[in-house]
Amino acid sequence: MSFEFLQAIMPMLFRGLQITMMIAIIGILLGFILGAVSGYALSCQNKIARGIANVYVWIIRGTPLVVQALYVYFAVPAIITGITHKKFVLDSVVAGITVITLNAGAFISAIVKGALESVELGQKEAGEALGLTKGQILTHIIIPPAFKAMIPGLFNQFIISVKDTALLSVISVNDITRQTQNYVARTYNTLPAYTACALFYLVLLSILMILQRMVENITKK
Amino acid sequence: MSESLISVRHLAKSFGDLEVLRDINVEIKRGEVVCIIGPSGSGKSTFLRCINQLEKPTSGEIIYKGDNILDKNADIRKFREEVGMVFQRFNLFPLKTVLANVTMAPVLTGHMNKAEAKEKALELLAKVGLEKKTEAKPFMLSGGQQQRVAIARALAMEPEALLFDEPTSALDPELVGEVLNVMTELAKEGMTMIVVTHEMDFALDVADHIIFMDEGYVVEEGSPREVLGNPKQERTRAFLSRFLLHSGDGNDSSIKNISEKRNGHEKVCCDNNS
Repeated sequence: MSFEFLQAIMPMLFRGLQITMMIAIIGILLGFILGAVSGYALSCQNKIARGIANVYVWIIRGTPLVVQALYVYFAVPAIITGITHKKFVLDSVVAGITVITLNAGAFISAIVKGALESVELGQKEAGEALGLTKGQILTHIIIPPAFKAMIPGLFNQFIISVKDTALLSVISVNDITRQTQNYVARTYNTLPAYTACALFYLVLLSILMILQRMVENITKK
Repeated sequence: MSESLISVRHLAKSFGDLEVLRDINVEIKRGEVVCIIGPSGSGKSTFLRCINQLEKPTSGEIIYKGDNILDKNADIRKFREEVGMVFQRFNLFPLKTVLANVTMAPVLTGHMNKAEAKEKALELLAKVGLEKKTEAKPFMLSGGQQQRVAIARALAMEPEALLFDEPTSALDPELVGEVLNVMTELAKEGMTMIVVTHEMDFALDVADHIIFMDEGYVVEEGSPREVLGNPKQERTRAFLSRFLLHSGDGNDSSIKNISEKRNGHEKVCCDNNS
């Protein structure tokens, strides 16, 4: 790889990095909210709430992410246009964030459900026996240890979401992958461009994996 | 001692087809220590858990200060604030310090402000001999220490009565004494206590009233001397004889038998005290 090549592609990769990280971070944060609600629903007694959460997880797990992205970007605006009779276009980044949110949310719901159920029944009973309300038991007794138990899984999902954003290039989100494709389309410089792209992801993900280990070590204490 | 604090009337509990409690009638008087004994599966823990409705009774009444707390409109949280519980497996909150375990409920229920709760907690932790462990996390403590924290946690609500569900069954034998000592102190101070236990020597020493349960029934009840020393029912005798076989000295008097076992035990308690 020549210096000229790097000079040309690196700014593009870093521009892509901004989009990739923005989508992944917003997606994981919104996905956590969605996953917390649906994970709570999955582990609660209410059959309707559990049913809705189950259908949501079933649809997301049962369809490929690329298809979800195409559906949100092309099919959903078509549906809205059909209903409102006004041309509706979805911004590709908004569509990307929506897809990552929906996807992360479904997998986080399983993490949340597992973490909530990992808190021993005895602690909940101790709270009840002390005269605490259901809300107090949830916020003061169940959530603190459950959240601690969730952290490794959440970080893992974040890493998966960062990689998933590469698939959003199909709906023309200008992430790292799409930026590389654009460069190749202009220059036909295929091998070095995709090599640089892969190495760029590898460095990014390695940094995140090191961060993950540090966070896990802190929370273990 | 004559005023009834809790009256249990015709209490029954089933899990599906399985009847666990059948027509239980018990009076708990203020300041009284009631020990519930009986074989595993006799329903004694379920009975205790029905009192504060960790298990919902199928039928019957529990009258507390004149109100039936099994009524739909009854305030069960208020009752739970006033009648604390100590569990077999301690059930401390694992991420919180000892001090935070004890102060949490009084503050959250609006019973005390933070400063009052802390002062009360320090006083109670000193009382159970753990004043040096206030900043420790539960996993750093022995089972006996954890159970003493759990007792302090229940006492922090300044309860009218305490329910103990086999409080020493999960402990190593050498840690049993330190917990029973704390309970004995509480009994001396006049705390109303309902204790499910297999510690016959504790029951004999501390209880005012013994209830023997089997297969969901109260088979026999009375003073420790009556129930442990001179049981009228065949099932009670069979249970006690099985139990006493473990002390192994072949003496035919139950009381003497238990007392001798207790004497050995008291030494252990004293050692722990020092």
